[in-house]
Amino acid sequence: MNHAIRADKFLLDADRTTWHDETLWFVREKRDRAVYAVPEFQELRELASQIKDHTLSRLDLYLQEFEAAAQANGVHVHWAADAAEHNAIILDLIRQQGATRIVKSKSMLTEECHLNPYLIQHGIEVVDTDLGERIIQFREEAPSHIVLPAIHLKKEDVGDTFHLHLGTEKGESDPQLLTEAARQHLRAKFLAGQVAISGVNFAVAETGGVVVCTNEGNADLGVNLAAVHIACMGIEKLIPRLTDLGVFTRLLARSATGQPVTTYTSHFTKPAAGKEMHIVIVDNGRTQQLGRPDFRASLKCIRCGACMNTCPVYRRSGGHSYDFTVPGPIGAILSPNIDMKKHRSLPFASTLCGSCTDVCPVKIDIHTQLYKWRQVLGEAGEIPASKKWSMKFMGRLLASARVYGLSGQFARQALRLLPHGLTHAASFNAWAVARELPEPPKQSFREWYQQQPKSVPQPQTPQVTV
Amino acid sequence: MKVALFVPCYIDQFYPQVGVATLQLLEKLGVQAHFPAQQTCCGQPLANSGCEREALPIYKHFVNTFQDYDYIVAPSGSCVYHVRKHFDKLDQTDEVQHVRGAAYDLIDFISTVLKVETLRGAFPHKVGLHLSCHGQRGLHQANESEMTPVRDGQLRRLLASLDGIELTELSRNDECCGFGGTFCVSEAGISARMGQDRVADHVRHGTQVLTGSDMSCLMHLEGIVRRAQLPIRVMHAAEILNGLTA
Amino acid sequence: MSSASRNRILLAAQANKPAETPLPTVPDFGGEATAERFTAVLSSIGGTVVWLDGLGQLGSTLQQLFPEARNTASPLFDATVPIHADTPTHVLAEIDLAVLTGEIGVAENGAIWLPEANMLHRALPTITQHLALVLDHRRIVATMHQAYAQLPSTGSYGKFVAGPSKTADIEQSLVIGAHGARSLVVLLY
Repeated sequence: MNHAIRADKFLLDADRTTWHDETLWFVREKRDRAVYAVPEFQELRELASQIKDHTLSRLDLYLQEFEAAAQANGVHVHWAADAAEHNAIILDLIRQQGATRIVKSKSMLTEECHLNPYLIQHGIEVVDTDLGERIIQFREEAPSHIVLPAIHLKKEDVGDTFHLHLGTEKGESDPQLLTEAARQHLRAKFLAGQVAISGVNFAVAETGGVVVCTNEGNADLGVNLAAVHIACMGIEKLIPRLTDLGVFTRLLARSATGQPVTTYTSHFTKPAAGKEMHIVIVDNGRTQQLGRPDFRASLKCIRCGACMNTCPVYRRSGGHSYDFTVPGPIGAILSPNIDMKKHRSLPFASTLCGSCTDVCPVKIDIHTQLYKWRQVLGEAGEIPASKKWSMKFMGRLLASARVYGLSGQFARQALRLLPHGLTHAASFNAWAVARELPEPPKQSFREWYQQQPKSVPQPQTPQVTV
Repeated sequence: MKVALFVPCYIDQFYPQVGVATLQLLEKLGVQAHFPAQQTCCGQPLANSGCEREALPIYKHFVNTFQDYDYIVAPSGSCVYHVRKHFDKLDQTDEVQHVRGAAYDLIDFISTVLKVETLRGAFPHKVGLHLSCHGQRGLHQANESEMTPVRDGQLRRLLASLDGIELTELSRNDECCGFGGTFCVSEAGISARMGQDRVADHVRHGTQVLTGSDMSCLMHLEGIVRRAQLPIRVMHAAEILNGLTA
Repeated sequence: MSSASRNRILLAAQANKPAETPLPTVPDFGGEATAERFTAVLSSIGGTVVWLDGLGQLGSTLQQLFPEARNTASPLFDATVPIHADTPTHVLAEIDLAVLTGEIGVAENGAIWLPEANMLHRALPTITQHLALVLDHRRIVATMHQAYAQLPSTGSYGKFVAGPSKTADIEQSLVIGAHGARSLVVLLY
């Protein structure tokens, strides 16, 4: 199934599509106001981009610097080549503790590695503590957005879910009351959590510490009450210096939600006395992406979600239409690296309007990479054969003015002479689902031009003066 | 100044009047543009579909056709953007580099090369301006809402200088219309929905004439306007500027 | 096997990385380092600023602000519950109000740096129902750049706190009091 088919399903509920589009546009507008209020915002984007470029250009060295600093802090560092190894390391750490209950704050990496089903299958109770994540965990759904995991749901949907799982009153859909119910429910989970898993927003090579940003405080609460903290990070989370955080913390929340900063920007450097801290460093295809010059810039991503909020396609097709952990424009350039065949339609799920590139706080050339993935897919034979053949045909047609002129004439004639019902039949012509075809003129421009006198006369009365 | 007129394939075939208006408008501004008969297309439809390799003969044909001109002017920012940005796949000979730098969107040419910022004439209608993404974000012909709240741009200035005109202020100044080249058929559902939303923004704010400098977006929007039988006229900016009455 | 993976990852990163690019110097962008700006921004994100005439006023001000707080924790006044690094979870869970010292205030975003040394227990600032941070107004800086420049290190654990715990995960409706402290008061002196 490709993106277009899944998008069409989403579009069937036109009102919900409108609501989804407007809700995310509202976030985009909040982002705009926050950006306009910082005069140096564009300079910060450039700095962030350069810092990330630099980090990638010394990635092996920074990884080792980070590891050494973390170990000196008393932190255990683990390395996972892929998702399976990541999951196995974590299960092993949990078992070493004799633990059966873990609390987890938001981590797209653990989503990417499908950690939850793996742990549950091995008898571990996993509680996602971010409110949005908890909602979709109850519903056994995947997140549809990386910052707003439950953005595809309306409050009534959440009300139904909480009624089922938390015993809130049937029909209760007030966000305040629902959030309070989740607070009470999750507090008990926090207090009983034996191991806490968190993601990582930034890993500082210089200090060996990791930084986790949340609004809810769930990462802090989970980590600081449990005996063991496991932080999971992709290798691209590194930044060189503590002071680089000045740049990234100014960009992240403004780009993500329009807030000046997240409520909590927490720096975990050493475990508390008598407790343990582990960091799992994960590759899972990232070094491969690093080796693709056209696509390595995607590793600069700080997972703010701004490209999703601004993407006119994402807003109208929903995150699930991408069928990948990271949806939207950034997901469409990350996913083919993981599985080109499965995700081959995603680089085409874009008009290449470029808004994603313009909002990206680390200046990833997202729409250019989408274009380049299309070429890779074309070369690899991952575009439909019919498309490939028609493009080959067009290539020959358009390389010759004579052939092109003749075929144009033919097409216009056909369009004029064939009945509307045929030219606009949706089964032949996807254009006609919602659009009329242009009214074919009798003459093309080139035919008109040939009939003009050789030296085209000046108009008699110049109607426009400069 | 030797200026060539590039009339993109779909304008040639479906909107010849836009080519005519472009030619005549340039004449009124003192520029005799020539239409090289060998021209076909910039190759963008193929490249956007992932068939860049198949487009290379078209790129070469384009360069051969236009290499002897100082400027190549087209009423479509999207094609110009493609020539400037994606002809990097050719060997960068002097001719290729020249053609890439010499390609201009009509409005960009008027504003940047001819340095015309205002025009005399009246157009007493409520006009909605559609910014093409490739013209705006690609060729920097207008401010971007991602960067600044100030709504400014080349065509906006030209239109605003006309007597009697009222420009529509949209809720979303620069959202994509959803055309996207072959996207309009490969993702027809989303494409149509985006176009409908774009048109609805114009309807809500009273647009009578919907215009822009990129005919490809306008072709898509016109198809939606006509299907929904809305009282909006779609015109390329060249048609408005060429048809001005004092 | 983790060490084999370590070597594989490092070798692949080394082999696939691009040519080295420079690490830029981040300038000090200046900005407005005033209590007014700090107050305005903190209010806009759900926090409250209260001025103290001096630290001597702390107890009475807290009494006025939090008349119903029964279990209080603080190194700064006569709190009701002594908290230290080994305090068990069930005791922490009953705290109504924690009053701690903030080190640096950031005017551009209303954030306050709170190092572990000032927390009594790492979980206290988030598990308490309400949080009050005492801050010397002379320690307000304009931006995050300046805040990080002033930090000698981030210690073992420390965080910037900007307002009360909140969420907008249900239909983008802002709700204050997700999992952490339901309110944040900054007591400036």
